[in-house]
Amino acid sequence: MTVIGTAALHTPIYVRYQSDIENEVTRLSTAIGQISALQRYNPRWLAIQLLEGDSDLLIEVQNTSGGAAVLQMLTDSQARLQAIYNEDIDIILTDQRYRFVNTLVRRVLIRPASQRETLSDRVDKIVTHRLLGIPIFLALMWLVFKLTTDVATPYLEWVDAVISGPLTNQMVVLLRLAGLGDSWVESLVVDGIIAGVGGVLVFVPVLMTLYLSLAILEDSGYMARAAFVMDRLMHILGLHGKSFLPMIVGFGCNVPAIYATRTLETEKDRILTGLLVPFMSCSARLPVYVLLAAIFFPAYSGLVVFGLYILGIVAAIGLGFALKNTLFKTKDRVPFIMELPPYRLPTLRGIWTHMWERTASFIRRAGTVIMATSVLIWLLMAIPTGGDGVFAETELDDSAFATVAGVVAPIFTPLGFGSWEASGALVTGFIAKEVVVSTMSQIYGVAEEEEAAEPTTLVEDLGQVITSFVGATIDTLRAVPLIIGIDLTDAEEEGESTGLMRAAQSSFEASSGGHGALAALAFMVFVLLYTPCVAVIAAARQEFGNRWMWFSVVGQLVIAWVAALLVFQGGRLVGWG
Amino acid sequence: MLQQVLRAFEEAHEPVNLVDLAHKLGIDKPALEGMIAYWVRKGRLKESQADSSCSAECGPTCASRSGPCPFVGKMPRIITLVGTDE
Repeated sequence: MTVIGTAALHTPIYVRYQSDIENEVTRLSTAIGQISALQRYNPRWLAIQLLEGDSDLLIEVQNTSGGAAVLQMLTDSQARLQAIYNEDIDIILTDQRYRFVNTLVRRVLIRPASQRETLSDRVDKIVTHRLLGIPIFLALMWLVFKLTTDVATPYLEWVDAVISGPLTNQMVVLLRLAGLGDSWVESLVVDGIIAGVGGVLVFVPVLMTLYLSLAILEDSGYMARAAFVMDRLMHILGLHGKSFLPMIVGFGCNVPAIYATRTLETEKDRILTGLLVPFMSCSARLPVYVLLAAIFFPAYSGLVVFGLYILGIVAAIGLGFALKNTLFKTKDRVPFIMELPPYRLPTLRGIWTHMWERTASFIRRAGTVIMATSVLIWLLMAIPTGGDGVFAETELDDSAFATVAGVVAPIFTPLGFGSWEASGALVTGFIAKEVVVSTMSQIYGVAEEEEAAEPTTLVEDLGQVITSFVGATIDTLRAVPLIIGIDLTDAEEEGESTGLMRAAQSSFEASSGGHGALAALAFMVFVLLYTPCVAVIAAARQEFGNRWMWFSVVGQLVIAWVAALLVFQGGRLVGWG
Repeated sequence: MLQQVLRAFEEAHEPVNLVDLAHKLGIDKPALEGMIAYWVRKGRLKESQADSSCSAECGPTCASRSGPCPFVGKMPRIITLVGTDE
């Protein structure tokens, strides 16, 4: 911008309003100028302030001798101007001041013919493009899940090997030193706590990768763009565009996403969005997908996980569309303006902070909620309800856990996973979704006992931990090109399936009549769509009341059951799995 | 000019980016911000930018009860026309 020239200002510049306003201002100024008590004010300025309705000055004039006449003139002026403009006078005056400034600026500044676009604007033209915006969002999501499944797998296997190997070995040694070897205490520690908590901690690398990716997307400013393009889609479908902002939070955890619905203005919008939030697949569900995808779809695990996340979004939007045209009918909405934050290069510190805070939260849950649940499940698995078993030495099928879980198992028979193992895992999943994995680890880990390894010393174990970590790091680096389809891993180095994986596979095959992969897919769809956890239920109850909480819980169970049925039975009909 | 801003809200058929609106109206973004702030004071527009935050009572299974929720995020600033969401 260039200033054409400067002129010495010998006289003040007044904002000139339209003639009818100027007439009223002149009339009022003249009257004000005749009142001595108001001499300290510029009459024109005071006239304009009174027209704008300045409350302090109105009171002052009212209390001034002769002010009543001025106020009467003011009332008449306002009535005349109101009749002309049909708008508040202060709005008219402010609008004309803006016009004056705009005109002045245009006269004294030269702007380039085309405004230079910032890099941020150029990127936004592509990222928020009407046609490209959503495919770009989907591509980035696919990339995130490819990273979490392919690139994090070596570290997942390393953690699994450390927990099931050196950690378990040394714990058994310690317990035997304490005289508790081969006792129920050893069973509690190894088959309960280590199996349950360890079964979840194995997924720490996967979740760290997910949180790393989300942190990069959030800190760079892209997530706001993602919400923007999805809001546009939702608006086209007749849903409230602002709903997707809380829903994006649900990718991390559904609980703050429920509370984020407070940003919506009306109760109807808040409740509707609150009903949709649980379908956004939170990070706690990821370990379930990764485990079962690795067992049943090893070559396509990233695609399967990506597909489940997309299914959740589609389910949310589809349900929102249905509810909006039935229970939540509203009049047409006017869209909104969103300020997209500027793009930023994420800092290493910022990314690390976000990633670590969320990972630490996950680990804390493993050490508290999941540990407590693992102990309870171990206890139920240790109590015999049939057969000749004794406490802590009973067959799983004769345990209290199997008996209780078996009560609800028939409900899932049409879905292909009508076994007490699967139903038990789903029931415990109400506590927290990670508990599904820890329960499965406990059930299938005990069911298929691995052959006892050669006894090792602490030094040997520590050495193994370090060398296997180095190996995992190398494998991770070699796995990065997998994202673009370049496979640098050796085929013969692919991990063997563990006892847990074999046990899970045979369980699903048995319950589904030989359609294990389909049943596992149906199971994952059920996990995606049914009630997230008790914390979400509590949040929904607090925000929306008991009635809508129950509507949400029952609705999610029904939708999950129907969707899983469609996957399993539909897949069988077309010959899949 | 002020009325142009309100009309832009009423005539938009989909969510609009603030920068795009400034370009469309031929107004500098700071000037547009001033006009939006004026309409917010007049109660014709409403601005919202909240943190998605957990209540302290989000349940016994939330591991963040003793500290801030790590999944909280600052939401983008949104401006809506008042009286259109019923």
